[in-house]
Amino acid sequence: MDFFKNIPTHMDYEGQARAEKLSRIIITVFGVVGVIWGYVIQQFSQTVYILGIGFALSLILTIPPWPMYRRKPIKWQPAKDGKELIHQSKDQGSKKGKKK
Amino acid sequence: MHSVLTRGNTVLAYALSVLACLTFACFLSTVFLDYVTNANINTVKVVVKNVPDYSASREKNDLGYLTFNLQADLTHLFNWNVKQLFLYLTAEYKTTNNELNQVVLWDKIILRGENAVLDYKNMNTKYYFWDDGNGLRANENVTLSLSWNIIPNAGLLPNIVATGSHSFKFPSEYTTYRV
Repeated sequence: MDFFKNIPTHMDYEGQARAEKLSRIIITVFGVVGVIWGYVIQQFSQTVYILGIGFALSLILTIPPWPMYRRKPIKWQPAKDGKELIHQSKDQGSKKGKKK
Repeated sequence: MHSVLTRGNTVLAYALSVLACLTFACFLSTVFLDYVTNANINTVKVVVKNVPDYSASREKNDLGYLTFNLQADLTHLFNWNVKQLFLYLTAEYKTTNNELNQVVLWDKIILRGENAVLDYKNMNTKYYFWDDGNGLRANENVTLSLSWNIIPNAGLLPNIVATGSHSFKFPSEYTTYRV
């Protein structure tokens, strides 16, 4: 089980947007090409196969978290020391109420 | 799009939507086509018998017997939205019992890619030509016509009657020969 949990699947936010956009473009392009080709040779099955290739390609390109989807990770604030945090929240609690 | 499953789901759902659109495009590209064409039908031998139809009752009914010629070129009916044609040959006639009688005498399935040029000489009918009484003997006007049913990938299932039918009359005497 640990092996499966350790497979990386994370994409950053911009990566997710790019992945979705890319998959839409690939499937649309293959669909349009497929319908034109199928009409030319009068075989609808060819249209379906071409769309299937586009589907497989977009699965390969957008499901694994390729490096191009992980270029802009979120920059978190540096973690503060635990003790300090407790003191702070107590001080703020007495004056203004809770604040994050 | 944050996990493998949501990404897979998105891609699959979009691919299926596109497939539905393409199928609809295929339907639209063929829905206004005219599938009517000409067929040459001729009868060769026509006799009528009066024998009991045991499948219905013991009464004697008229049984027509005929052989026919059929020529038709259906090649151009096939396109990317036609999987097969179901051809059937119908006899239509009027009797005192019924205003309209229709009997299917013969049928054939032509799959896409098979030979669609029909040229039959002296063919036997596939099904019995039973009348439900004695309406066949000396019937002056029996019309044979070829129709087909188009089985598409997507869309309508049109029934089309070919232009070119053949009318014939049955003899006024029952035959006693074996046919």
